Amino acid sequence: MAEATELFRKSDVPAHVPAECVIDFDLFAQPAPEEDFFEYWKKLQGEGRPDFVWTPYNGGHWIATRGEDIHTIYADHDLFSSRNILLPVERNEAIRVLPTSLDPPEHRPFRNLINHGLSPKVVRGLEPSIRELTVSLIEAFRARGHCEFASEFAELLPISLFLKMVNLPVEDRIKLKALSEQVNRPDGSMTPEEVNQGFYDYLMPVLLERRKNPGDDLFSQFLAGSIDGRPMTDGEAFELCMQVLIAGLDTVVSVLGFLMMFLARNPDHRRQLVADPAMIPPAVEEFLRRFPLVAIPRTVIRDMEFQGVTFKEGDLILVPTMLHGLDDRAYQCPLDVDFNRRIGIHSTFGAGVHRCPGSLLARAELRIFLEEWLSRIPDFDIAPGRTPKVLYGIVGTVVDLPLVWQA
Amino acid sequence: MVKLIVIDASGAEHILDAEAGRSVMKAATDALIPGIMGECGGCLSCATCHGYVDEAWAPRLAPPSEEEQDMLSCAVDVLPCSRLTCQIEMTAEVDGLVIRLPEAQF
Ligand code: HEM
Repeated sequence: MAEATELFRKSDVPAHVPAECVIDFDLFAQPAPEEDFFEYWKKLQGEGRPDFVWTPYNGGHWIATRGEDIHTIYADHDLFSSRNILLPVERNEAIRVLPTSLDPPEHRPFRNLINHGLSPKVVRGLEPSIRELTVSLIEAFRARGHCEFASEFAELLPISLFLKMVNLPVEDRIKLKALSEQVNRPDGSMTPEEVNQGFYDYLMPVLLERRKNPGDDLFSQFLAGSIDGRPMTDGEAFELCMQVLIAGLDTVVSVLGFLMMFLARNPDHRRQLVADPAMIPPAVEEFLRRFPLVAIPRTVIRDMEFQGVTFKEGDLILVPTMLHGLDDRAYQCPLDVDFNRRIGIHSTFGAGVHRCPGSLLARAELRIFLEEWLSRIPDFDIAPGRTPKVLYGIVGTVVDLPLVWQA
Repeated sequence: MVKLIVIDASGAEHILDAEAGRSVMKAATDALIPGIMGECGGCLSCATCHGYVDEAWAPRLAPPSEEEQDMLSCAVDVLPCSRLTCQIEMTAEVDGLVIRLPEAQF
């Protein structure tokens, strides 16, 4: 498809992979800026393509391209393991995350703690904070008539919220944002070990302090939880907290970025929401269907036939959530944004035991954002002559979205 | 087929023919009834299929498990008749079951 970066070795095609399944697809390739992120991914569903394709890039892996299979693979942890959640597979040795890389039953006790920490009740309680943060971020640039939406809004909201949930000063977001940027978009100024150490140096003293003097914050809740009858180790607590921080960043940033890019270019849709804010909750659901952006691999647990394809134990399958909401077998005219669409199953938040526990928080952030932004800045556009910048990879992310409006 | 009546927060009644053995959550989400999400697909991980069991029916259902009670404590507007509907199986014994949905799932 696109120019390969050749960052990672190309591997030989294994004997069990039929020649007609083999394509050239590099997950980390960065197509031209004019390319539409979703249409780019959707090419994998091109006419005549088999439902499962195989690419030699990034160590060699399958890609599931159809919605139903994508949902089934995420949901079936007995056949498809989470032990490798990064590609190429070597990267999983350097980076450990809880509970995302655990299979049941080890996964459950950690997940239980997260379920409680991000529950419907908790999210409802957080709404006033989300609103307050949203308004203060927007008001910081509203009178100016322009902003770079990713760095001045989208990236700040989830970090600020995380700090609120763990009861740390919101000013710390400057430090945390700099570190998070090195995780998602390393610029070579820090090694992965230094980044990890940076988070460790920031989080560990807090965790140790909260162990001694627990409060009612998320960290204290995690630390009080039991893992099969034993307390959590400091190392586990660190990995769990890191995961909750990181998982809520790029994802929310990206959905915000893509939906704002869309609304900037589609005044009719924008006006529908301005005229009738009751349409905002269904619009959020439609945006979540239309703008999915996470692609995570699974590892085949044993040799098997699946949907007519032969998988061998250890095969890696990339499972792009993008291709479910955008599959015309699941949704008519899937690229159209229609706030009145009846939305059934999609895989934007995954499926099964790992299904995103932050989905309610994400929805609350998106809804409150739209309410507060559109009532303040109902008309806006992409800055003339500028092209928004999107990064492709495990999580597609909008990194540069210059917006302008009449101040 | 087993009859299931779901009353959403607006008071609208949805009468469904559910396949025996299917959960109330699955039957309701398959029918795209508003006000019930079932985010986790029924693995007791989300508390977004919260519903109220009509009084007359409560004694005919198996009581909630410890895991269900634990997850139910995560839901909003919980009442004594609250259940996570992914844990209620449609069987001949509960033909005609009435479930009310809360104002919101979160
Ligand atoms: C629209 C925004 C979001 C999207 C599209 C998204 C997507 C996903 C997906 C697809 C998974 C499944 C990964 C897998 O199966 O391997 C996941 C897991 C996860 N997400 Fe989200 N997410 C979003 C927001 C959030 C937020 C706001 C938080 C927390 C504050 C969060 C925390 C997590 C955690 C902790 C996991 C791991 C769960 C587990 O392994 O059991 N996410 N997310």
